[in-house]
Amino acid sequence: VDSKSLPRPLDGDVLPQSFMENYPLNCDPLYFRLTTSAIPSSQSLLSRWHLPLGVVVHPLAESPNGEEVPVVNFGAGGIVRCRRCRTYVNPYVTFSESGRKWRCNICSLLNDVSGEYYAQLDANNIRIDINQRPELTKGSVEYVAPAEYMVRPPMPPLYFFLIDVSVTAVRSGMLEVVAKTIKSCLDELPGSPRTQIGFLTFDSTLHFYNMKSSLTQPQMMVVSDLDDIFVPLPDDLLVNLSESRSVVDAFLDSLPSMFQDNVNVESAFGPALKAAFMVMNRLGGKLLIFQSTLPSLGVGRLRLRGDDSRVYGTDKEPALRTPEDPFYKQMAADLTKFQIGVNVYAFSDNYTDIASLGTLAKYTGGQLQYYPSFRGSLHGERLRHELARDLTRETAWEAVMRIRCGKGVRFTTYHGNFMLRSTDLLSLPAVDCDKAFAAQFALEETLLTTQTVYFQVALLYTSSSGERRIRVHTAAAPVVTDLGDMYRQADVGAIMSLFSRLAIEKTLSYKLEDARQSVQMRIVKALKEYRNLYAVQHRLAGRLIYPESLKFLPLYGLALLKSIPLRGGFADAHLDERCATGYTVMNLPVKRLLKLLYPSLIQIDDYLVKAPDDARDGENYLRKVPLAAENLNPKGLYLYDDGLRFILWFGRMFASDIASDLLGVDINSLPDLSQINFCARENKISRKLMELVKRFREADPSNYQLCHIVRQGERVREGSLLLVNLVEDQIGGASGYVDWILQIHRQVQQSA
Amino acid sequence: MEEFADLESQDGVRMPWNVFPVSKQEATDCVVPVSAIYTPLKPIPAMPVLPYSPIRCRTCRSVLNPFAIVDFAAKIWICPFCFQRNHFPPNYASISEENLPAELYTQCTTIEYESPMEAASSAPVPPVFLFVVDTCVIEEELGFLKSALSQAVDLLPDNSLVGLITFGTYVQVHELGFGLMPKSFVFKGSKEVTKDQILEQMGFFAKKPKPATGVIAGARDGLSSESIARFLLPASECEFALNSVLEELQKDPWPVPADQRATRCTSTALNVASCLLGACVPGSGGRIMAFVGGPATEGSGAIVSKDLSEPIRSHKDLDKDSAPFFHKAVKFYEGLSKQLVNQGHVLDVFACALDQVGLAELKVAVEKTGGLVVLAESFGHSVFKDSLKHVFQSTDYDLGLSFNGIFEVNCSKDIKIQGVIGPCASLEKRTPICSETIVGQGSTSAWKMCGLDRATSLCLVFDIVKKDTPDAVGQPTSNQFYLQFLTYYQHNNGQMRLRATTLSRRWVAGPGNIQDIISGFDQEAAAVVMARLVSFKMESEADFDPLRWLDRSLIRLCKRFGDYQKENPLSFSLSPRFSIFPQFIFHLRRSQFIQVFNNSPDETAYFRMILNRENVANSVVMIQPSLISYSFHSAPEPALLDVAAISADRILLLDAYFTVVIFHGATIAQWRKAGYQNQPEHEVFAQLLRAPKDDADAIIRERFPVPRLVVCDQHGSQARFLLARLNPSATYNNGAPAGPGGDIIFTDDASFDVFLDHLQRLVVQRS
Ligand SMILES: [Zn+2]
Ligand SMILES: [Zn+2]
Repeated sequence: VDSKSLPRPLDGDVLPQSFMENYPLNCDPLYFRLTTSAIPSSQSLLSRWHLPLGVVVHPLAESPNGEEVPVVNFGAGGIVRCRRCRTYVNPYVTFSESGRKWRCNICSLLNDVSGEYYAQLDANNIRIDINQRPELTKGSVEYVAPAEYMVRPPMPPLYFFLIDVSVTAVRSGMLEVVAKTIKSCLDELPGSPRTQIGFLTFDSTLHFYNMKSSLTQPQMMVVSDLDDIFVPLPDDLLVNLSESRSVVDAFLDSLPSMFQDNVNVESAFGPALKAAFMVMNRLGGKLLIFQSTLPSLGVGRLRLRGDDSRVYGTDKEPALRTPEDPFYKQMAADLTKFQIGVNVYAFSDNYTDIASLGTLAKYTGGQLQYYPSFRGSLHGERLRHELARDLTRETAWEAVMRIRCGKGVRFTTYHGNFMLRSTDLLSLPAVDCDKAFAAQFALEETLLTTQTVYFQVALLYTSSSGERRIRVHTAAAPVVTDLGDMYRQADVGAIMSLFSRLAIEKTLSYKLEDARQSVQMRIVKALKEYRNLYAVQHRLAGRLIYPESLKFLPLYGLALLKSIPLRGGFADAHLDERCATGYTVMNLPVKRLLKLLYPSLIQIDDYLVKAPDDARDGENYLRKVPLAAENLNPKGLYLYDDGLRFILWFGRMFASDIASDLLGVDINSLPDLSQINFCARENKISRKLMELVKRFREADPSNYQLCHIVRQGERVREGSLLLVNLVEDQIGGASGYVDWILQIHRQVQQSA
Repeated sequence: MEEFADLESQDGVRMPWNVFPVSKQEATDCVVPVSAIYTPLKPIPAMPVLPYSPIRCRTCRSVLNPFAIVDFAAKIWICPFCFQRNHFPPNYASISEENLPAELYTQCTTIEYESPMEAASSAPVPPVFLFVVDTCVIEEELGFLKSALSQAVDLLPDNSLVGLITFGTYVQVHELGFGLMPKSFVFKGSKEVTKDQILEQMGFFAKKPKPATGVIAGARDGLSSESIARFLLPASECEFALNSVLEELQKDPWPVPADQRATRCTSTALNVASCLLGACVPGSGGRIMAFVGGPATEGSGAIVSKDLSEPIRSHKDLDKDSAPFFHKAVKFYEGLSKQLVNQGHVLDVFACALDQVGLAELKVAVEKTGGLVVLAESFGHSVFKDSLKHVFQSTDYDLGLSFNGIFEVNCSKDIKIQGVIGPCASLEKRTPICSETIVGQGSTSAWKMCGLDRATSLCLVFDIVKKDTPDAVGQPTSNQFYLQFLTYYQHNNGQMRLRATTLSRRWVAGPGNIQDIISGFDQEAAAVVMARLVSFKMESEADFDPLRWLDRSLIRLCKRFGDYQKENPLSFSLSPRFSIFPQFIFHLRRSQFIQVFNNSPDETAYFRMILNRENVANSVVMIQPSLISYSFHSAPEPALLDVAAISADRILLLDAYFTVVIFHGATIAQWRKAGYQNQPEHEVFAQLLRAPKDDADAIIRERFPVPRLVVCDQHGSQARFLLARLNPSATYNNGAPAGPGGDIIFTDDASFDVFLDHLQRLVVQRS
């Protein structure tokens, strides 16, 4: 096998174009992606598909071109929905009887058209007002919900900050960055002037803050009886931001200095969490937790159970990756019940049991951000950016999401961060544009007799402006009887999204090895099935064959096995980092997931030295290379980008004068490049590099990629930062790309 | 009675019997106990303060005094208490009849020592003031309270340490030393805390690890002074922090349903305050000053449930034992008082509410620690505002707040001590001078006085144990005996002092010498002792009938010391030494101390606490108010406390101690309303109006708590404040004619004449 001829996704995610063209009324695949857009007509057909049958939903995805989802307000008439299956009116419904009836595309019921919604039909049975009706022409619309969609008045956007102020939180600089960042975002928090805000800090005790608007400065109240936590004030711990703005400003200004001499090494995290819950549970909202010290006091305290090489490969291994104390899952359940979504920002130099902490985000629709060994001076920018993003991005409050589909199809499992409220209703206290979910569906016993299966995603939520809204995405997919169609219409991005989530979930109950095995097995089975379809016919006995749609599947599969959550064993990833990445992956939309699995590696020295200043032309000077060490030219400079961070790799023979220009120091004089402050220098080439980095960052605003600098041959760092991530290389016990392909090929050819 | 006043001004002592009955039986026959009212810190202008430590008897530890017999040649003194011969120490070598140390001057029976050694060993300890402030009050009251506190803070001595606790539903301990913003530690109102929890939960070991063993308290025993200074700051440094907290102090924010009382955890707040002082400054002078604006409803010291339909306990409820919260609360405050006494800290209570706040339950903690108490209707009332000012303001009437007192008694042979009624707590130091009979704080010869001031007066009750044996008679040398009162205390200058008062009295010259006993009777002191005793009995003895007890006592006394022929009431007469004693008893019977059903338990507790700390002169006014009459006809003159004193053209000034009433006769009131006093030609009238006002002001100025001033007119509704205290010589049912322009009292009470009639008849009866 020639390595060079193997397929590589150097251009990242590719949307299923042909499907989009065939179904122009479908919502954009940005919001809804099937693992195959050919739905099998029977269970027997499905059983030969071996890959996941499901969908990736990204309900609030930001459109890259800034296009907004049209808003529809039916006013007094109410939202038009199917009387039987509650499907929202959509481009696939059909009108008949001179416009007095409409047929539901999902359950086929013939519904009456109400007086308010009536319009005449033209000769083709098309409503004459079709052009004024986005709900009948667009796959994605947003309905303004009337009062019956509310169980209470729409809540105001609410941000509550639970901040660790123990000694490590202060010394790492976390507290200062957090305080300053929050303050800088106050003007941009969504929902002004209704936005509410509150703070609680903790070390071995809990500190509440009275922010009543009439005060000249906040009042701090310490509650220290950890066994009997109570809220010291009935109001004013959560205040209207605009009314109490000066008090909030005063608080954030003094927050870093208030604790600068704190020597407290304890963390009453559990009691603090309970207290935050008590403050927030009347309204719900977003709880942002900044945690730095392993919870050591009161309920929910965690042991330094840490990592243990001896349990790897045994039945005890998965327990490392799951919470030990049921407190966290119970709290998450309570929080969700009261519409509180949790984002955890974890900072620690040592083991901090991310497995337990992340549970809070997992079941409340939130996210976990992990900043190991955080230092404000080095990592502050990332925290600033990501926290600002969290605070200012559009957020949907007190939301629930349901996916409806046609008869014969049934959703079975959901994968991501949420709490399942009933069999098909996802509770999402606070959800935003950066959260994607995956789901699998199954077929009922009977054959699918229709030509098309319809799906409808409905997200009912409160907007920051206080409107109750329903975002509806509708899609159709053809029913097929030919297995080949299923493979041809496969979407490797959606498949990998499901695979990744399934594999990570599997690591919570099984050994890593088992999870990896199962991914590999499914890939092999799928390719074998495909081979059985075509091998005889094409007489291609000696070659690995796959449909064009799945040409990257083996490589992405390999990358998944080598990804942080799944790779190797004890020594191959820090336990906390493994868990943290696992939690991150559960939220990722397709594009970002693929980038994380197969990051881009770009040689940029030509660009910096030779490209003209006109940026557009400059692209030609950037060279994307496969993720293998053999592609790294010692004379070159490379940028590695996995969506979460950048690594700037300096070849051993890279021109040292340029390196000095870029870094401000002589690269060869420094034994350790980790302390270099990556910033613009006073020279053209440095500015050019900064421009480039900035452009890459802007391509995906959901994360801030810190730029790590490493030099070829730099011991340990080069390996752990970059080399370990070159997925095509053979690393440790894991195969390189070529070996992998051979291995898969061998297994495919083995008779079943 | 002037001779007794002279003795008082020299030593601060008044005794009902200045000549002691010679045997136990004779003492019993005297009815009024052998006792003393002693004011340990009474200002005595000529009293020397000696800059050295006292010389003590090596056997009985009594302090060298003018009654010691000194052998100048041998440099020896003989202890008057135990007759031990003691050598003077070397530094007394130059002692001679011409060169006496001050403690031997005959006029220096009361003297103070402030030893320089003690002063050098530790810098003066600053007094500690911990304010405990109720926030469950309406905004208006909170406003009054804030401004009163701000003023008080201005008046605090700069070196004093100040702390602040506020409470309502929860207790908040304010960390005044934090600086960046108002900060407080919050505790649940329903849960008592311990000192250890306070230490643990308020971060006392944050910067300095907790010592593994030993008692942890104060800067000397394991706490960093830095951690203490977070909560207790010098007044000069914390003024800004304290004022900024006070300025933004909010009313307790928890909602109170219309049919409920506010959740007010007074007892928990005091428990936290006590633990905080116990942790930070054990043993050094400190006071918890509690400002309470309503009934306690939460915690162990709750006095009533939150449900408004349940009324607060009355005397009737207490009598019937149907006050469900009472015993638990009293038990809590007994515990608190023990803790405070151990720590040497004082509890002051300023109770300002229309409702009762629980003073009856709190009483034990205030009294045992020698705390101050003020009861008023509102924080806006002058009774509260001016009293609080009085605590801090240095004027001629300065309270002279002192701390950490220990009071000890020495007696000659044959005299024992039954106990003390007054603001102190037994130190349980049992010595041979303790009597088997116990009154008040007994079974001890030493008492703790956490707080004491210039007015604090103890009532000591003695026991005569001398057997009536023949050989006890006719020994002239043993006719004198001695009492010594030693008071160690932290003077308000911060130094420790010892005041020693040594008294000499004599036994009755021969048994049954009634005239000799009579000559030493101080009827004012006797009335005051009887008042304290009857109050004490009412509180401590079940089914005690105070009227019966007082009546029987008076009858027995009159039988013993009166002149009369049996069965002939008209023959009855009393020596001038006794002449007004029946009148005192008559008014005592009608006073707030006995007629408790006219008042709430809180009021009764208040009146008794003040009675138990005041000197004889002030107590007499509480028992029998003084009345002065002002008119054009004569200079101001005392008037009989009788309804007959009322006249249309007179102004009366009644001083009933807690209230001072200026009563304008009808004509005076008419003229005043017409504004004559503003016309130059009626300057005399203006002067007449002014005179009682000036006199009332003088009373108010020197009194603590500041009395309530009532200015009223004859026939006006406020006139009841006067009428209630007057002898009802003319009532609507006895037919006696009212004097011209006089008044009739609408009461069923017997008049003094009727009372005296009865008394005479009963005394002369054959028993
Ligand atoms: Zn339907
Ligand atoms: Zn002696």
